Amino acid sequence: MIKTEVYEEALFQTIKRGATEISDDVKEAFEKAIERETSEDAKKGLKTTLESMEMSAKRENPLCVDTGWPIFYFKVGNKCELEGGFVELENAARRAVAKATELGYLRATMKHPLTGYDPGNNIGMNIPDFTYKFVDGDGIEISYAAKGGGSECFGGTRHRIVAFADGIKGIEKFVIESFVASARAGAVCPPSVLGIGIGGTANVAANLAKEAACLRTVGSKHPDPMFAKIEEDLYKALNSLGIGILGAGGDTSVLAVNVEYAYTHIAGIACATSTNCMIARRASSRIDADGTVTRMKSPMWFGDR
Amino acid sequence: MAEYHLTAPLTDEDVKQLKIGDIVYISGPAFTCRSRLQKYIFDEKNVLPFSTENRNVLIHNGPIVVKENGKWKLNSFMPTSSIRFEKWGAKSVDEWGLKMIVGKTTMGKETAKMMKEKKCVHVSPRSVSPNLWIDSIKVETVHLYDELGRIEAAWFFDLNDIGPFIVDIDCEGNNFFDQLDEKIAERKEKAMRDLGIEEGWEYTKLY
Repeated sequence: MIKTEVYEEALFQTIKRGATEISDDVKEAFEKAIERETSEDAKKGLKTTLESMEMSAKRENPLCVDTGWPIFYFKVGNKCELEGGFVELENAARRAVAKATELGYLRATMKHPLTGYDPGNNIGMNIPDFTYKFVDGDGIEISYAAKGGGSECFGGTRHRIVAFADGIKGIEKFVIESFVASARAGAVCPPSVLGIGIGGTANVAANLAKEAACLRTVGSKHPDPMFAKIEEDLYKALNSLGIGILGAGGDTSVLAVNVEYAYTHIAGIACATSTNCMIARRASSRIDADGTVTRMKSPMWFGDR
Repeated sequence: MAEYHLTAPLTDEDVKQLKIGDIVYISGPAFTCRSRLQKYIFDEKNVLPFSTENRNVLIHNGPIVVKENGKWKLNSFMPTSSIRFEKWGAKSVDEWGLKMIVGKTTMGKETAKMMKEKKCVHVSPRSVSPNLWIDSIKVETVHLYDELGRIEAAWFFDLNDIGPFIVDIDCEGNNFFDQLDEKIAERKEKAMRDLGIEEGWEYTKLY
């Protein structure tokens, strides 16, 4: 049985890491973008952003002032046993978010949606958000994603039902038009990690899009060639637009395009997008049944990607 | 494109020389605000408890400020999106006598119109680099902390050559991003054609 103090500390460390350290795969994508950038201004913007992100890890301060919506993904072994059960896991996650806020790793950003009341600790109705996936085994993998306000509020998250008659053309038109509108003047903080969910009900597509944006390893490909082709075609198309870092012009508008899918109804294809900001903050840890905590390089939410 | 290093408080002459696409660095007094401050003043008709006469640079931002050994210390800083404050933009330029607004996402037509009339510019960051800025920003004091909370209060900063920012609305009402939009729209048409989505192709209308 995994002890409360073990998973609570792992949760806290994962939040802290997600808020203050750039992931290796995002860093690699930044380095590639800097190398191929032909606009001097954009190159400088990418370089200074990466430089600042690397300083955050050393100074233990947030990568960006907006520390986002706190979102947890738990990949749980079928035989995983936690002291206090999963209700206590969620309580521990709330305590860890409050502690991270108090210590300045997170900004007190979560508010009451109508009154604007600020609890000061990022804890409130249905926040933080929790998503579970069950797999074989007896351990648990914790991922923390910080979804930034810019990336979420300016049309980076949308959905549309596309008719079967329109197929891939309809999906790609929707994605391109949504992205261009949302990236205008840098609103969603491009270059984005763009997640696309295809199929399921609208909320299934939206969840897949968010998971594809926040959890997929940047640089990974969908194993099904049909979906990998959509990823590649849209990556090329979006990077031909010249939107660039913070929308002020440049060669890299997306760091990645990640597609995930679900079977859908014969009536239509739900299609959803979710953009993650250039910093693409997240961190993951694995806790084995014996209480050993390991830092994971990438969430591996979708198996090997 | 020219590069300027300006010191606030800014004069009409300081900002009239700036053209869209120019790069600026700013020093001197500035203050921050977000939605709650503008709502508190313009909608709820409260009086701003300080003068903006010698503090005419506004940064749209909710900084992370912590108290260390009895002194305020900036822990993170990044200009936020200005467009969400468009409803109050013209009023803030007019009533607060602003000469420069620093923020992301540019602003809309009403604010740009007032900026042209009152001689004010909007500038945008070119990177997300809080750590290259926070050591050059001194936190002077804070107003409306109790009323609006730590993030949305009006923080007084003393800036030391903070930048680079790109001028996106100049005093003539030109918008850098409107001009860039036209180029992006052309490239978008080409990208769609390359994917086999012909011009004029429409979705099957489902709703």
